[in-house]
Amino acid sequence: MKAACLAGVLLVVAVSVAACGCTGDAGQAAEEVSWNLTVSDGTTEKVLSLPEIKALPAWEGYGYGVSTVGIKYGPYTVKGVRLTTLVESVGGIGEGDQVGISAPDGYYWVFDDEQMGGSGFVTFDQNLKEKPAPPLTVVLAYEFNGTAIPEEDGGPLRIVVGTDEPGTITEGSAWVKWVDRIEVKRP
Amino acid sequence: MRVTPLILLFVAVFMVLAAGCAGDGEQVVLKVVPAGSLLIPLESVEAGFEAAHPGVDVQIEGHGSIQCVRQVTDLHREIDLVAVADESLIPDMMYRPMEDGQGNYTDSYTSFATNRMVVAYTDASRYADEITAENWYEVLARPDTVVGISNPMLDAAGYRSLMVTTLAEDYYQDETIFSSILGDHLRPNVTVTREGGVTTITLPEVLKQEGGKVRIRDGSIYLLSLLDAGGVDYAFEYLSVARAHGLRYVSLPPEIDLSSADHADNYRRVVVDLGFQRFASIGSERVGSPIVYAATVPANAPHPELAREFMDYMVGEFGKGYEEWPDPLRA
Repeated sequence: MKAACLAGVLLVVAVSVAACGCTGDAGQAAEEVSWNLTVSDGTTEKVLSLPEIKALPAWEGYGYGVSTVGIKYGPYTVKGVRLTTLVESVGGIGEGDQVGISAPDGYYWVFDDEQMGGSGFVTFDQNLKEKPAPPLTVVLAYEFNGTAIPEEDGGPLRIVVGTDEPGTITEGSAWVKWVDRIEVKRP
Repeated sequence: MRVTPLILLFVAVFMVLAAGCAGDGEQVVLKVVPAGSLLIPLESVEAGFEAAHPGVDVQIEGHGSIQCVRQVTDLHREIDLVAVADESLIPDMMYRPMEDGQGNYTDSYTSFATNRMVVAYTDASRYADEITAENWYEVLARPDTVVGISNPMLDAAGYRSLMVTTLAEDYYQDETIFSSILGDHLRPNVTVTREGGVTTITLPEVLKQEGGKVRIRDGSIYLLSLLDAGGVDYAFEYLSVARAHGLRYVSLPPEIDLSSADHADNYRRVVVDLGFQRFASIGSERVGSPIVYAATVPANAPHPELAREFMDYMVGEFGKGYEEWPDPLRA
């Protein structure tokens, strides 16, 4: 009987060990990273830490992107801060202004005032057929699916062209990863 | 002795779970990053190579050409083979030292195929029964004809569309071709300057369509969808892409279709200055040149020997000149 118990214990241990090995780190909560975001309009400059960004009024919705060659990423539930909220600290955005987004990997993208207002984007259904654009919001996201955005997915801060309802795909070229600078350019 | 079956069960369960964890541990994953217009041919190359190399899993991950290179140089991913639709990108972006100081990202590349720009359309396209190789620019300029291009900021086929329509002006002796087909239907205004025999098209930071005549999409696959759905009548595409999707197309003269090394001097007479420098690692100026596909094995490739073997096989396959693939380079 003792031997049978021992074997049973070994079996449980083996299953546990093997299962642990399979899951790796996936189950661990992402650690808060140190990251600063600079928001500027060329004359005024503000530096925000990740906790300071998270303290701003949050936007929650959905994000689903597609690359130039048709690779889809997502869908995600998204939490972040509207870009319009972030640039308010340097005077907001007016007609004709543009907003440049930079990342330390050397990627740069520009939104015009129309896009900052949520229009001027192409949208698709889940089969990548074009569909009329629902209300869209340009967001600096810090959470995908309820957890911090992993580094390999562009975290801790990534641009998302998000929607209030799921099921809409937006062009991913604007979804800048690892955002560390936002600059308003006045005409 | 009743314990023996339990021990055997334990061993069996452990081995099964351990095998599950290891997955295909014996399998070598060869990571290949090609330009989007190579994706269809590389499906076939992948299948052929894997059939001849049991235990090798070729993983294809498509991007725009510049993004292909950046996977290695800027994002520091371990990639076995990079294949781009513009051979100049490799020396421009990869002939530079790696971050760890162990030499350049690469010091050589293999050119293996070419392509040509065409005007693709379908039976349902407006004036499909009228368009010819002689009148294509007049048909595309008509106010009720909708023309699609991919975004020049994102796709080489996009800025090459601008080059083709600009080169057409000289070829057909008609200075309105670029503006009537594309330039007048983009906003903010596109600037065209001519100096010393070179025409430079300067794009705004955010390029948009003005009105409904021109439609700009991130990549050529979205233009194909629009063609199928009737959202555009004509789209500037690579010949191989048009053929692979069963589209009708108008062939353009070699003097303007960016296919021929014989006309390289002519192609150089058009320059597109993109609206902003999207990547720190390459400037925003694109000079007209023959379309030449090239591949390289980065110096930090995880499986360099296997990658070279794959590249040799790929180059050989392209050399066979399949109908729906980019054409082989002439000797």
